[in-house]
Amino acid sequence: MITKVQKKSQIKVITGNAAAAIAAKLARPDVVAAYPITPQTEVIEQISQFHANGEMDCELITVEGENSAMNAVMAASLAGGRVFTATSSWGLVFMYDAILAAAGARAPIVMVNVNRETPGIIAVSSGQQDMISTRDAGWIFLIAEDCQEVLDLVLQAYRLAEDYDIQVPVMVHYDGFYLSYLSEGVDVPIQEDVDRFLSVLKTQPERTKLVPGGRLGCGSHGILGGYLELRHKHVSAMERAKAKFQQIDKEYEEIFGRSYGGLVEEYRMDDADVVLVGSGSMCGTIKSVIDEKREEGVKAGLLKMRMYRPFPSEAMIKALKGKKAIGVVDRSLCFGFKGGPIYTELKAFETKLGGSKMISFIDGIANTDITKINVATMIDTTCDLAAGKNVREVTWVSYPEAQEEGGL
Amino acid sequence: MTEKKKDNLTKVMDYLKHEDPFSKGVAFCPGCGLELLLRFIPQVMGNDIVITGTPSCSAPVLLGQNNQSWHTLSYFGTLMTGAAANATGLARYYRKAGIKNTVVCFNGDGTAADIGFGNLSGAAERNEPFIYICYDNEGYMNTGIQKSGTTPFGATTTTTPFGSASKGKNLRRMNLALKMAMHKIPYAATATLSDLDDLAKKLLKAKEAKKRGFAFLHVFAPCTTGWGFAPENTIEVCRRAVKTNYFPLWEAENGKIRMTKTVKKPKPVSTYTELIKKFAHLSQEDLQILQDDVDYEYCMLGGLSLLEGECRLPASLED
Amino acid sequence: MSSNKYFKHEGPWSDSNDPLMCSDTGDWRTKRPVVDKDKCIFCGFCAIYCPIQVMEMVEESYFSPDLDFCKGCGICAKECPKNAISMMPEGDFKK
Ligand SMILES: Cc1ncc(C[n+]2csc(CCOP(=O)(O)OP(=O)(O)O)c2C)c(N)n1
Ligand code: SF4
Ligand code: SF4
Ligand code: SF4
Ligand SMILES: [Mg+2]
Repeated sequence: MITKVQKKSQIKVITGNAAAAIAAKLARPDVVAAYPITPQTEVIEQISQFHANGEMDCELITVEGENSAMNAVMAASLAGGRVFTATSSWGLVFMYDAILAAAGARAPIVMVNVNRETPGIIAVSSGQQDMISTRDAGWIFLIAEDCQEVLDLVLQAYRLAEDYDIQVPVMVHYDGFYLSYLSEGVDVPIQEDVDRFLSVLKTQPERTKLVPGGRLGCGSHGILGGYLELRHKHVSAMERAKAKFQQIDKEYEEIFGRSYGGLVEEYRMDDADVVLVGSGSMCGTIKSVIDEKREEGVKAGLLKMRMYRPFPSEAMIKALKGKKAIGVVDRSLCFGFKGGPIYTELKAFETKLGGSKMISFIDGIANTDITKINVATMIDTTCDLAAGKNVREVTWVSYPEAQEEGGL
Repeated sequence: MTEKKKDNLTKVMDYLKHEDPFSKGVAFCPGCGLELLLRFIPQVMGNDIVITGTPSCSAPVLLGQNNQSWHTLSYFGTLMTGAAANATGLARYYRKAGIKNTVVCFNGDGTAADIGFGNLSGAAERNEPFIYICYDNEGYMNTGIQKSGTTPFGATTTTTPFGSASKGKNLRRMNLALKMAMHKIPYAATATLSDLDDLAKKLLKAKEAKKRGFAFLHVFAPCTTGWGFAPENTIEVCRRAVKTNYFPLWEAENGKIRMTKTVKKPKPVSTYTELIKKFAHLSQEDLQILQDDVDYEYCMLGGLSLLEGECRLPASLED
Repeated sequence: MSSNKYFKHEGPWSDSNDPLMCSDTGDWRTKRPVVDKDKCIFCGFCAIYCPIQVMEMVEESYFSPDLDFCKGCGICAKECPKNAISMMPEGDFKK
C-alpha cells in the first residue's frame, strides 16, 4: 500500500464496523435497510445514530429480518436509488434467495458482510464460510484487510457496482471480530472528496430504472435464448469488472492518496520464492511474519486477494508465475476437495503457473486465531515444499489431529 | 341511444376512469376471478401504479417475456418470500426522490398468508406507504391446487385430498384481513367481485390511506379450475360467499371496523358450498363445522365493529 | 460479446412501449355469447363482470363481445338481468 499525505482528511481511531458505517454515510445512499446480527450490529447502530442526528439523509428501513433488508434495497436500487445494507453469516444466508434475485436483476447494491462462520447457531466465531457459501450468487466480492481498507473498499464498491458498464451488486467482506471490533487509526476522507470520487457516475448514461408510468417492467422471464443471453451478459460484466476495479483503484489513489494495487495486493513479491496466498485480516499478520522471515533470509512474499469474485485468475497467475512454492490459506472448507476453496480454485490454473507447487492451509475457522506462530509454520512448510521435501497437501494448522495417520 | 337507456347503466362504470392496461388475450382460465380483479384495479386506480408480482397464477401475465410485456404498467417481478419488502423499497425510494407513486403489492394468498406473511406483517408494522392487495383463491393454484392458510375447512386440494382418513382440509382457515387490521394500519378491508362498487370504493380509499401509510385489501377471487365450479358461476360464487357471511365485506379505517355490507338474513353456508366441487364430499356434520367457523369469525367481527368511539386510533402518527 | 437479441437492457427488463404480447384466446371458446339487442336494457353488468373486459358498448345502446378474445366463460349471460345473452355452441357458427 502506498500512502500519500492528505491534508484535509482526518485520522480517527475507529472500529471496522464504524469505518463501514462512515463510508456508507459518505456515499450518501438514498435507502438503507438492515437487521442486526453479531458482529455486524454496530454498523447499523451507527447508521441509525447518523440518521437520528440528521447527518444522514436517507430512508432508513428497520426491517423485520435480513431477507426483507435485501429485498427492500434490491427494489430501491432498481427504482434508481443508491442503497446500502450490512449483514453477517446467518443473516447473509437468510437473504440468499434475494441475493440471487438481486444479482439476476443486476441491481447495483453495495453491502457489507462481516464474515462469521455458519455452522454454529449461537457460537459467534470468525471464518469465511458465509462468503464461500454465497460465492457464485453473481455478486462481486471484495475483501478488506484492515479498518482503513473497509472504508476504502465500501467507497470503491459504489463506483464498481453502479458503473454503467458493470451494474452488478458488490459485497465487501471483512473478518468478524478481528476487524469488526478492532479499533485502529483510519484516515476518514472529507465529504467533498468522496462526492468528487463518486461524481464520475453522474457523467455516465443513466441505468434502466423502474418509474411510475414508465412502461418498463423488471423481472421479465427470459425465454427461448433470452435467459441464456442474460446469463452471458452477467458473466461478461463480471469479467469487465476486473479491469474496471483496477482503474477505480488508481482513481482512488489520485484523490485519496491510497492504492492497493487493484484486484490483488502484492507484498514483497518481486523476488519471493515462496508465497502465501491470503485474504482479509490474516494478511496483516502474514506481512509481519514475512518481514521477520526476510531477516532470516527467507524469500517469502504475500499475495493478498482483494477481489474474490470474479476470481482474479489473470492477476494471480501474473503474480505467482514461476514462484517455487505457493501456500494458500483458507478460512473455510470445500467439501470433497480436502483443500480449502481458494486453494481448490487456484489449482485450476496450476498448469499456467510455470511449475509452482501448491499446498493448502486451513486455519482461522471455528474461532481459532491465525497466530504469528501459525503463519511461521505455514511459511516453513511452504519452504519445505519449495525444497522438494515431502509435505502434506492439506494442513489444518490449528488442529494437528487432522494430520495424524489416516487423516486427510 | 335513448336517455332512458343510459340511466340504466350501472354506477360501477363511473369508477372505471382509466384504460385497461392489459392485453386482451392473456392466458387465465375462462371465468377466472383473478383476471377480472387484475383488469379492474388499474381502471379504477390509474395506469401509473407500480405493481409487484410473485410466482402465482398472476405471474405469467404480470411479468413479461424477454423484452415484451402483457400490459403497460410498470411492474416489479419478484420472489414469493419478499414481496412486501420489495414494495417497501420502491415506495421508500420514491418518497426520498420526491417521485409521486402508488405502489401496489399484488399477491396470492400463498404469498400473503403463508410464505410472505412475515414481511407483510413487518411492512404493516412499519406503516410503509404502499397498498398490499391479496387476491384469495384459497390455495396455491399455480403449482396445481395445494392447500394454503386460507383454504377453508373441508376443502379438497391436492395436498388435502378426500379419503377414508381425511375430510379434505382438516383445519380451519386463518382470517388474514382481521390479522392485518390488528396491525393498526390506516386502512384494511375485504372485498369481492360480486360487489364491484364496494371494491372500487375500497381501492380509492386505499389509495388515499396510502398517504398515511399501509393499506391492505383482501379480495376474495374464486378459481373455477381449482375449486370445481362452472366458469359462468364466478360472480355468483362471490355473491353467495357474501350472502352466507362466508366472506363478509368490511373495512377498518384508522382502526374503526365497519361492515360495508350487512346481510340481513344470512343464508346457510351450504347455499355457498353447493356450487363448488371442492366441498361436494362434505356431510351435514362436516358442513356444520364449516358453518360454526363462519359464525365464529362473523361473531368476532361483529364484536369488533361494535367498538364505537372509545377504540378509535389516532388518525396518524405523522399528523 | 453478448447480444441484445432478446433483451434491450443489461437486466431482465421488458418494455411496453413496444407492442404488447397477445394470445388468440377467442380460439378457446366452445360457446359464444349472443346478445339480443331488443332485450338489452343497457345496464352494463355483462361488461363490468366480464373477466376479460371485452364487452364493448355499441352506439350507446347495447353491448357486444369482442369475439377475437372472448373465452366463452358465460359470466355475461349468467349475470344479465334480462337474459338478453345466450351462449350458443361455437360449432353453430362454423360453415
Ligand atoms: C420460495 C418459493 N417456494 C415455492 C414456490 C413455488 N410456487 C410457485 S407459485 C406457488 C403458489 C402460489 O400461491 P398463491 O400465492 O396463492 O398464488 P396462486 O397460484 O394461487 O394464484 C408456489 C408454491 C416458489 N415460486 N417460491
Ligand atoms: S387456476 Fe384458477 S386462479 Fe389460476 S388462472 Fe385458472 S381460474 Fe385463475
Ligand atoms: S347485462 Fe344484459 S341487459 Fe345488461 S347490458 Fe348486458 S346484455 Fe344488456
Ligand atoms: S363469455 Fe365470458 S369472456 Fe365472453 S364476453 Fe361473456 S363474460 Fe366475457
Ligand atoms: Mg392462491
